[in-house]
Amino acid sequence: MTSKSDHELVPVHELLSDKEAKALLQKLNLNIDNLPKIFESDAQAVKLGAKAGQVVKINRREGKRDTSYYRVVVEG
Amino acid sequence: MQTEVIDSIKFSILSPDEAKKLSVVKLTVPDTYNEDGYPIEGGLLDQRMGVIDPGLLCKTCGARAKSCPGHFGRIELVRPVMHSEFSKIVYTILQSTCRNCHRLLLSDEHIQEYRSALTKLENAVEDVEPEAIEERVEAGSLPMLKRLKNMKKCERCGTSKGKLKFSAPTYFYVDDYKLKPDEIRDLLSKISQEELEILGIDAGTSRPEWLVLSILLVPPVNVRPSITLESGERSEDDLTHKLVDIMRINLRLEQNLNAGAPQIIIDDLWELLQYHVTTYFNNETASIPPARHRSGRALKTLAQRLKGKEGRFRYNLSGKRVNYSARTVISVDPNINLDEVGVPLEIASKLTVPFYVTTWNIDKARELLARSEYPMAINVISKDGKRKRVIDLNREELIKELQPGDIMERQLMDGDVTLFNRQPSLHRVSIMSHKAKVLKGRTFRMNYCVTPPYNADFDGDEMNLHVPQNLEAQAEASYLMSPQYQVFSPRDGDAIITNNEDGITGMYLLTKDDTYLTKEQAVYILSIAKVYELPKPTKDGLYRGKDIFSAMLPKGLDFTGKSSKAPFVIKDGKLVDGVVTKETFGRGDNKLLVKIGKDYGAEVLKDFIFVSAKVADAYVTLMGVTVGVKEYTTSSKLEAERVRLLEETFGKINELIAQYRTRKLEPLIGYTLRQSLERMIIAELNLVRDKAGETLLKYETSEENAAVEMTRSGSRGSVLNIEQMTMFLGQQATLSGGRIKRGYYTNRVLPHIVPGDVRPGARGFVSTSYYSGLAPTDLFMHAVGSRSSEVYKALLTARSGYLYRRLSNALQDYCVDHDYSVRDANNNLIETIYGGDAVNPVFVQFQKLAADEDK
Repeated sequence: MTSKSDHELVPVHELLSDKEAKALLQKLNLNIDNLPKIFESDAQAVKLGAKAGQVVKINRREGKRDTSYYRVVVEG
Repeated sequence: MQTEVIDSIKFSILSPDEAKKLSVVKLTVPDTYNEDGYPIEGGLLDQRMGVIDPGLLCKTCGARAKSCPGHFGRIELVRPVMHSEFSKIVYTILQSTCRNCHRLLLSDEHIQEYRSALTKLENAVEDVEPEAIEERVEAGSLPMLKRLKNMKKCERCGTSKGKLKFSAPTYFYVDDYKLKPDEIRDLLSKISQEELEILGIDAGTSRPEWLVLSILLVPPVNVRPSITLESGERSEDDLTHKLVDIMRINLRLEQNLNAGAPQIIIDDLWELLQYHVTTYFNNETASIPPARHRSGRALKTLAQRLKGKEGRFRYNLSGKRVNYSARTVISVDPNINLDEVGVPLEIASKLTVPFYVTTWNIDKARELLARSEYPMAINVISKDGKRKRVIDLNREELIKELQPGDIMERQLMDGDVTLFNRQPSLHRVSIMSHKAKVLKGRTFRMNYCVTPPYNADFDGDEMNLHVPQNLEAQAEASYLMSPQYQVFSPRDGDAIITNNEDGITGMYLLTKDDTYLTKEQAVYILSIAKVYELPKPTKDGLYRGKDIFSAMLPKGLDFTGKSSKAPFVIKDGKLVDGVVTKETFGRGDNKLLVKIGKDYGAEVLKDFIFVSAKVADAYVTLMGVTVGVKEYTTSSKLEAERVRLLEETFGKINELIAQYRTRKLEPLIGYTLRQSLERMIIAELNLVRDKAGETLLKYETSEENAAVEMTRSGSRGSVLNIEQMTMFLGQQATLSGGRIKRGYYTNRVLPHIVPGDVRPGARGFVSTSYYSGLAPTDLFMHAVGSRSSEVYKALLTARSGYLYRRLSNALQDYCVDHDYSVRDANNNLIETIYGGDAVNPVFVQFQKLAADEDK
């Protein structure tokens, strides 16, 4: 059965490794709490098996440009 | 400066003992001044509570009015009263405890249960977020309170709780017996600290019986200053009035108690005392009448001072009045540049600008200091921070003492950077920097091309002017906030500072194909543009309007655009083809202003707008553009056309109605037959409106008609406006957007209409014009429509204003960072890249690609 999260309008989520996450925060000059949040129970987080404290990268296509958004996984 | 970090703040209730310690005087006399106008000792303006007259000394601290912080006094109430703002808490406590044994109405097991839950929460505070704790407390305490409320009798001593009733704001009844405040106080005082903790009350610092007042703190006099009127009469603050009331009743109650008056009289006075104390705290307490001044105005007591838009928080703390600012009426002056503001001499001589004295400008500073009229120095601030006002007596001395490093405050002069603002400040261009230009007169003068960003007009609008007080602020203002850098809107990149009104009409008339000027006219117009070179004349010695326009354009400009569907071509700084309209300047995707701004810079752009508006004004004045009744007089041909159009439409509509009656009408998808009919009729009426506009333009071809010419140039008025004046008014709509269908009973608008008539005339379609005059029924329909739109406008502004306030407060510190990410003040990431593409709309330019041309 196809899942809703496979729909073409759902942007591709990927889980960053701890090393990647650390590099990202360094690059953006952020504390981990400064990132937007995503619930552990979010369908995408569940699919990736993301745990609180990890960072999820969301690849969107806005207009004619690819952009990345980052979210920190939180309990809930 | 030494700073400390505040670790925590704790609020608690004042105990009578504390109140006694806090106060410096017990007030006994319910009056203010004696016959000599001297504050009565023990009265409400006792000098031990501080003084307000400068010169007098405070009897407590010995300081003068300015440095005395004020001291509290107290009123000792002979009978206690409830504190109205806390009666809800008192109700909860009374409901939860037994009146006989003063224990919680819970079994020991339950108490144990709640207590352990509480301790667990307390221990968890460290690592749980505050919101979570709040949630858990609510989850735990709400059912507990509910259980307590439903308890009928005490489980320990078996006493029935009786019927406890709370009547706002301060009355409590048990089985219809009214509890007196002292009885309530006794009940509250017997509850143990441990049990109060379960109810969430920290009894160590806040005993519940302190919610029943026996000592009332009286705020110092500088909190409620009395004012002396011109007539020498004294007028007291509302709070003082209220306190006089309280003391007067308190005294009468005491006298009656001592005289052993009957219980009824005592109770009445007691209740009156309660009323005065309640209104002293909050004069808008629900279900009691507000205390009034002699004049009938409701008194402004403690709560009213703090609450709402005009309260202490929103009026004095979130928004303060500032120094170095001025406000007056604005008026037009097309001779003032876009980035200038005309400042009245009166204001310029009051406002000051700091002049930082250095080795290099000290001569100039001395020169200013020596002057005794307009551009002169006001204050000198020496290096050690002492501020001295320049007066004739010390001028010589100050000139001698002046040295590099001093700061001199001089009057505002031409070219000084100022900030100009009009409220409501809805977007960033509501505050822009303008260079001061000191002028005669008493109004601020501004160029009318900068009115759109401020949304200003000159029907009495007032604006504010601020003077930045240091070099960094001045530089920042002049580089970032100057109108020439704000020409293009950050919303969509369209020009918001452009020619408008006459500035368009004039350009339009000047650049028309058949515009020719005599040599005299050409020289006059060009002199206004400060161009001193005549273009080539035609064979008969005349000058083309297009050539005059070209003379104002920057050298070598190449531009191709469109104006009202005709091409608009500039080649090598010469207008070759086309007429200037509103579109040419800065709307949509072909903008002359964008091109000039991009290729020649903001300065050139600013001067182009300024000069072209000035020239346009001059040309309009020269030609004389007037709108009168003749502009709206219908020709017989047009009138015949109007009748034909309406007859045709009404015929079609009648046909639709006939089809509807016979059920032959094909319904629209998703609509009932009746809805379909309504929609079809409306569609027909819209169609006739558009057709009428087209016909109007077809018949009104004369270029003599100023109203039509203004519409064509885009400067003012629309085809619809003219159509409503010369042909017919058209459909009048209601708030809901549909046609008017109610008003008189039985489903019709007016009595002479047959119920259920859906023809245009019966539902608010007006087929007469302003020029021909409206029939009485049409006038009624028009009035319905006018009222509707007026009401709608009022509702819309109120709603959108509040919506905007919430939105701007929520977004106020969002900022695009150097890496194009959007962050807030706490460095929270809002967006990785601004708008997903880091594009600033101000710099977006639309350009046709060769590929587009082929299509």
